[in-house]
Amino acid sequence: MFELAQQLGTSGLSQAIQSTLWLTPLLQAIHILMIGIVFISVLMVVLRIQGSVRADEPFDQTWARFAPWVKWALVVMAATGIVLCIGEPVREVSALSFWLKMGLILVGVLGLLGLRRAASGVTGSTMPGGVRLAAVALLVVWIAIIYLGRAIAYDAEVWGSWSLGVYA
Amino acid sequence: MNTPAFVQAIYDSGIAMWMRGSLKAMPLIEATHVLAIATVFGTIFIVDLRLLGMAGTSRPYSVVAREMLGKTWAAFIVAVITGALLVTPNAITYYVNTAFRLKLLALLLAGINMVVFQVLTARTMSQWDTSPRPPGAARTAAIISLLLWTAIIFLGRWIGFTKGYDFAVPEDVQFEFPQ
Repeated sequence: MFELAQQLGTSGLSQAIQSTLWLTPLLQAIHILMIGIVFISVLMVVLRIQGSVRADEPFDQTWARFAPWVKWALVVMAATGIVLCIGEPVREVSALSFWLKMGLILVGVLGLLGLRRAASGVTGSTMPGGVRLAAVALLVVWIAIIYLGRAIAYDAEVWGSWSLGVYA
Repeated sequence: MNTPAFVQAIYDSGIAMWMRGSLKAMPLIEATHVLAIATVFGTIFIVDLRLLGMAGTSRPYSVVAREMLGKTWAAFIVAVITGALLVTPNAITYYVNTAFRLKLLALLLAGINMVVFQVLTARTMSQWDTSPRPPGAARTAAIISLLLWTAIIFLGRWIGFTKGYDFAVPEDVQFEFPQ
């Protein structure tokens, strides 16, 4: 994996991204704007399940309002994220935070879809305790994704000897 | 360039020294700052889209604003506290950083835009609260707000790439990345 990342890092595309100095902050800023859209959309779905926002409308209406925003913002995040990875492949693969983040994104997306199945059809403001608890857990997963994203830049400081870069 | 006394005092403060020496303070506080900014931007985006008549138009503006703006303010307070903490260990380079100064200016302008909207435009809210297309003044405020908050996030990220650091990485950290 490290060899692959090193090869990618010396490729023309990677060099072009690295030498375009304004590209990385630009992509990171877009990435953060999209975090705002995804996080708030997930928060709205979670709070609807708690019955503390949009309790006057059926759950499916809340889902229809926010799910497309999650989907398209995630597409933009994947696109900006992939370009950022091509620009600094070794930094990404040697960061434990990066792999934990990728794993939690999978959990976060599948968890959101699962939550929708559990809450779909509910028109009242009250939902079963299990669904509400799962919604809170999902919110924690998405918050963890944000923390891990920032931690990629500080992987050795945050994880010490657990950081993959130290052992390789 | 001469450093003003108050900037030097911030730089020399105990909290700044603690952050310069701590390994985990920066990533933890930066991530909390990102989470707070994401919440500020996301909630404002929802309110502005409602003002523009582009989303959430089935519900009155006042209901959307009431649900969102409490969260906006709570997150903004967290963003200000974490932001102030992030300035301290680098206060001298932040003070002369153009992106940082422009970010503060954009925050000021966003505040003025909000006050103008609340004092002038929101006074007639009862006339357009349920309208799917609020009046031009409201839509203008929403566009200004979205532009400024987008600029604030861009400038914030630009600071990190232009400011440099006032301190070296603490000496007990070993970086051994694969060659």
